[in-house]
Amino acid sequence: MTWVAWRRQRTETLIAAGIVAVLVLALVPTGVEMASAYHHDGLSGCLGVNTSLSCSTELQSFTSRFDHLNSFVSWLTLIPGLFGVLLAAPFVLELENGTHRLAWTQSITRGRWIAHKLAVAVGAAIVASLVLTLLVTWWRTPYVHLQGRMTTSTYDSEGIVVFGYTLFALGLVAAVGAVWRRAVPALVTGFVGYFAARIFVDTWLRQRLLTPLRISWPFGSGEPAVLQHAWGISQQLVDASGKPAPPPILTCGGHVIAGSGKQALGKCLTAHGVRLQAIYEPASRFWPLQGIETGLFAGTALVLLLFAAWWTHERAA
Amino acid sequence: MSASAALLADGLGKRYGSNWALRECTLEIPAGSVTALVGPNGAGKTTLLQLAIGLLRPSTGAIEVLGRTPQHDAAALLPHVGFVAQEHPLYHGFTIADTLRFGAKLNPRWDQDAAVRRIEQLGLPLRKKIGKLSGGQQAQVALTLALSKQPQVLLLDEPVASLDPLARREFLQSVMEAVSETGMTVVLSSHIVADLERVCDHLVILSHARTILAGSIDDILASHRVLTGPRTDPATVARVHNVVRESHTERQTTLLVRANGHVYDSTWQLHEVDLEEIVLAYLGLDRTVRTSRERLHEAVPA
Repeated sequence: MTWVAWRRQRTETLIAAGIVAVLVLALVPTGVEMASAYHHDGLSGCLGVNTSLSCSTELQSFTSRFDHLNSFVSWLTLIPGLFGVLLAAPFVLELENGTHRLAWTQSITRGRWIAHKLAVAVGAAIVASLVLTLLVTWWRTPYVHLQGRMTTSTYDSEGIVVFGYTLFALGLVAAVGAVWRRAVPALVTGFVGYFAARIFVDTWLRQRLLTPLRISWPFGSGEPAVLQHAWGISQQLVDASGKPAPPPILTCGGHVIAGSGKQALGKCLTAHGVRLQAIYEPASRFWPLQGIETGLFAGTALVLLLFAAWWTHERAA
Repeated sequence: MSASAALLADGLGKRYGSNWALRECTLEIPAGSVTALVGPNGAGKTTLLQLAIGLLRPSTGAIEVLGRTPQHDAAALLPHVGFVAQEHPLYHGFTIADTLRFGAKLNPRWDQDAAVRRIEQLGLPLRKKIGKLSGGQQAQVALTLALSKQPQVLLLDEPVASLDPLARREFLQSVMEAVSETGMTVVLSSHIVADLERVCDHLVILSHARTILAGSIDDILASHRVLTGPRTDPATVARVHNVVRESHTERQTTLLVRANGHVYDSTWQLHEVDLEEIVLAYLGLDRTVRTSRERLHEAVPA
């Protein structure tokens, strides 16, 4: 049965492998180049809060050279969805073409058939996610040293969340396809649903998974070191009592100061005890957040896969 | 329940919402018979076959194949039942060799030698993709897959509907050869009556989700007669026999009846009638058939 499930999944798995191969071809040369630039410029010595002038020049030349590549790699966050959709396709195609009737009228029960089919898809999804995560994590190592891995674009492609994303897309397409039994609509719906869920989690849910921390510092002094590799959710001005201060462009201590010099504004804000406050998730919360988020996606994926299996078992003929 | 029945249905019904796809179906298909399941599209033929292989579960009543309930006993029953679904679905990306391997992996009683021999007899290369075969060749591969399971019961759902006359004949020929070699029971559905008489020895007519006639073809042929006589009301005849179809001209009345015993009335001239005409009479949409359907349903021994 495993041979059968694999043989039915072969084309899609090879396409997924092809995508990985293209990524390897694209990322390995640039990754090697970036790593050597990082070491050559001695950027590892530039980590920390107080950096010398030469360091900031080096950093600037490094980021201006590689930022466009880095933002391209951020788009790879769509690939888990693609893998999931692709690997769920054979299951839905089987129902659309009626070939499940061929399989179910051999000598195995439909329960076993469904279990094997979904298990092979899940296995391929896990392998694809693993390769993708390892590849992107390796590629981005210099960036992570410089900027940490809490920013959305990095966080989304490292750690363990990619497994959750891929399985979620797989489960969604399987569930929609089990009911709809039409591959193209199910694949499109699945991918759109994946995208919507990712946007929802990235922009709204993730910062609510663990209550963010707050830190404030006097206006005009440097950012605290703890924010260096943290995920800054927002920043605002607060007065001495910690309440949000009114926008400084309009007033300072009740005087309208718009139009006066920047220095005057700064002095006035400092004199009134106005501070900057950041709401953030510290770098130390990388794994707890990854764990919760992966649990949510993988858990939903499990529910969707069980639903797809149950529906197919009970309703298909 | 007879031990020699390959398939038994008792009050079998399948309902989707308020629509009955099959209703109050009671019949017995003897082991070793070749049974044609005849009826127009939507009559319930596919439903009956899918209930027999366990693709569907009955809403009412019960079905047994080889003494087992398909829905509860699938693991024990499936190795003994071959099934070719409508449109004979196959994996188009597979080669014929892959398809045979698929059969070998999924069937404990698989006969690989016989499978390869059949494919060679058909003159098909094992490395050819299923998608590149003609409809008739695909049907033959699907049949090979079902036969190589070495089934005791072979269920074929509209196996020849999509085939041209030559392929249809070749396909039925293959079925006949397999039957003569193994003595297996075959149930095949069709909305085309032609060709079936050569192949089948039993007949079940389904219409509007109900069984309207079931029996051996010999018995059916022996009991049906066309009566012609002067124009009369057929009520006298209908008291004793089942009038399947009546037609009248100005001076003459023609009746197709299922006779209960001999027709003694000398006012009628008796003619034999062929199977196709009987089937068409039962499936005919004239009023007589509709009004007598209930009576027929009760009168027909299951």
